[in-house]
Amino acid sequence: MNTAVVGAGQEGPLLNVEGLVISHGAVPITAPLNIAVERGETIAIVGESGSGKTLTARAIAGILPPGINATGAVTLDGIPLLRLAERELRKIRGFRVSMLMQDPFTMLNPLMRCGDHINEMLRGRPEFASRAARAAEVKRRLAEVGIVDEDVARRMPFQLSGGMCQRVALAAALARDPELLIADEPSTALDVTTQAEIIRLLRRVQRERHMSLILITHNLRLAFSTCERIYVLYAGSLLEVGDAAAVERQPFHPYTLGLLLSEPPADIRVPRLVAIRGSVARAADVVDSCGFADRCDWAKQICRAGKPPLVARDASRFTACVRQDEIQGELDALRTAALSAAPMTLRPDPTEGALVRVDALVKTFVGARGRPIRAVKDISLRIMPGESVGLVGESGSGKTTLGRCLVGLETPTAGDISIDGIAAADFDAMAKADRARVRRTIQMIFQDPYSTLNPRHSVGQALSEALGASAGATSPATPDRIAALLADVGLSAAYATRRPASLSGGERQRVAIARALAVKPAVLVCDEPVSALDVSVQAQVLNLFKRLQAEHGLAYLFITHDLAVVRQIADRIYVLYLGEIVEEGPTERVIGDPQHPYTRRLIESIPRSANQRAP
Amino acid sequence: MSAPTITETRKTKLPRRLPIVILIAALIITGVVICAVLGEGIAPYSPFLQRLGIGDTLPSAAHLAGTDLLGRDVLSRVIYGARTALVGPVVVAAGAFAIATLLGLLSGYLGGLVDSAIMRWVDFMFALPGPLVAIVVVGVVGGGYWTAVFVLIVLFTAPDTRIVRSAVLEQRPLPYIDAARTLGISKTRILFVHILPNVLPIILAYVVLDFAFALVNLAGLSFLGLGVEPGTPDWGRMLFENRNILFSNPVALLLPAGMIILTAVSMNLIGDWLFARFAK
Repeated sequence: MNTAVVGAGQEGPLLNVEGLVISHGAVPITAPLNIAVERGETIAIVGESGSGKTLTARAIAGILPPGINATGAVTLDGIPLLRLAERELRKIRGFRVSMLMQDPFTMLNPLMRCGDHINEMLRGRPEFASRAARAAEVKRRLAEVGIVDEDVARRMPFQLSGGMCQRVALAAALARDPELLIADEPSTALDVTTQAEIIRLLRRVQRERHMSLILITHNLRLAFSTCERIYVLYAGSLLEVGDAAAVERQPFHPYTLGLLLSEPPADIRVPRLVAIRGSVARAADVVDSCGFADRCDWAKQICRAGKPPLVARDASRFTACVRQDEIQGELDALRTAALSAAPMTLRPDPTEGALVRVDALVKTFVGARGRPIRAVKDISLRIMPGESVGLVGESGSGKTTLGRCLVGLETPTAGDISIDGIAAADFDAMAKADRARVRRTIQMIFQDPYSTLNPRHSVGQALSEALGASAGATSPATPDRIAALLADVGLSAAYATRRPASLSGGERQRVAIARALAVKPAVLVCDEPVSALDVSVQAQVLNLFKRLQAEHGLAYLFITHDLAVVRQIADRIYVLYLGEIVEEGPTERVIGDPQHPYTRRLIESIPRSANQRAP
Repeated sequence: MSAPTITETRKTKLPRRLPIVILIAALIITGVVICAVLGEGIAPYSPFLQRLGIGDTLPSAAHLAGTDLLGRDVLSRVIYGARTALVGPVVVAAGAFAIATLLGLLSGYLGGLVDSAIMRWVDFMFALPGPLVAIVVVGVVGGGYWTAVFVLIVLFTAPDTRIVRSAVLEQRPLPYIDAARTLGISKTRILFVHILPNVLPIILAYVVLDFAFALVNLAGLSFLGLGVEPGTPDWGRMLFENRNILFSNPVALLLPAGMIILTAVSMNLIGDWLFARFAK
């Protein structure tokens, strides 16, 4: 599919977006955008948070939130969507353009049975006038999205898993047979193996119906593996547009390259990820310059002289980088260099002197109506001093519960935990001195950067409290010690006076790491510490973890669902499935030669490259 | 779960302009506070000065709001009345706030038996018909105004405890609390240094509402003769004393009634506005 952006087909593209500007009052959210989607084509709009990708999708579907305005031209098969009245738009939504949203649980009405969501969409079509015809059609539609269990139509959304809800939502979105489906991060909220299933399903349905698909995602690798053309959006401007395979082979824009290199590769371990410095810019701040200039290593005066337009550089390739000709060689060289694998560091087999030992750990929660929920069933593991151990599993595998047991946030139902030789299964039963020592040995980093810091405390207050906790209240937390902690995580001393609300996600996570480091721990339990961060920021934080390990000899228990992340950081991994360890071993061995079927499924769910994709 | 779309909504801030209604409400409350503080300084006459010879008169240049049956200046009595109108409700709001905050923090954070005990007490209090209890207690025990204030504190503590508890339950599972626990920060410090500042705005919004309810309740009790001593200038008491001269000097009745309504409504508006701003 090598159609140019300006429609060359006999009827022109199905959807043509020209000069779309989205703004919030006087504040611009996007620069003028041009997007074209051919019939039956799959495109991806890739961007980090704040890039404007979701609002672009919503502008196309005509469902912008109040206060947000769109100007420009959005033409669907010759119909100017932006100029239509709400009544007219209603005849288009669902029938011609449909949308699939990120959160499967809030997208379905919690008080409506699953089948009714589809039934509602079918109503009003003459061929489904009778109730029986509709019921039969609902069944057929559910089967199309892979739901054969007829009972599902009668169930409420909360009785289904996220993946099932997403399938029902997809069936509802497709019920009026739209020509264009906009899927906004349809798999992001799901488990990795479910993610792969939903994406495969989307692809299949798209092909069978010869439907056009716009996939909105932050995941470049997913976009490459699913879509024919890629639009890279950053701070409201398109920086690169082109054929997926070609862009993946040789990105023309430094940002695309940066994104590509920031994503940790799953197949090799690199010594250091190439991170993009800084954090995502806001569209309003970069109206008159290249949006990426502040974070770009190749930025020159010319990049800030005005907003560079998207220009054709190749057949079906467009880039907004004005210096692409000059720097392409350097970009290619950087790519080659970044993909060289790190030498394997072999560790002796972990047997003696483990820092953390967990033996036959069981944790059972009391669920609804007293039903026991067995989150962790009989888990044993070891963490050696200075070793980085990965704990891989999906939601419900018990990985977070295990981490919380280690730091005393949960008390295990049975089994032993020993930390630095101290029995630490039940924190309440421990002697005060022992408990204090364990707390100085093991600390935890949490997933959500937005609530990991107390919103009412400044960074300095948070760190001085942690410093006080480490040495008893007697030792004063001097500004010097706070500055040293901040420097350790790559922040300047000026951050001490800032409040969490003024920090970006990556900065908050750095502060959280500094807070944990204040007690000089020997092991950090990191619960999905980078999964809520933008890809470009994720690489920075992963590099920080690597550096801290080298400098402080820290041991990690790295809890994650992301095999690519664990590949970069862990020496040894445990694969957790439904509360049990199904496989363990050195990272290279487990990922390279998985033994357990579940591990194999996890590895298969990693999106393939566009160049390896089956046609 | 994942951040990509979250940050967009976080960046759009609500406009921070003071609505005109809230401004007016704040001015009314300021006026009442000035009356309560300055009292003698701005009242044209002593509120106790009786001139039985003139009796009740309509508003005139000498008496802007007229006089009551005993010839006392109504305006002066209303200005003085701001004191009992403010002091009682402030004490009720502050007392209920202090107790409810403590109980709510303990109940929400500690959970278990402490939580059950406190919540069952709250349930019990909810089952009582509040104003009736106040009437019975003040009627039987006596002690007038301050007994009424005490009873209202106890009555108002129950619903406030529930509010505080639910706000605490919202904060408790957040990672910043977990982080403090793993650092070995003491429970007391977590409760008062970490959780309290985060639930305080919501509590304060409710405390403002408490004030308005207490004002109306105390005025009601005074009207029934269960509040202030007879003779004290008090808005509720004035309603009772002047109910018979409604036709000879309506202002003597309508002015204190209007003040009760204005003050209570103003406080309610401010409370609602605070709640809308901070509860999110």
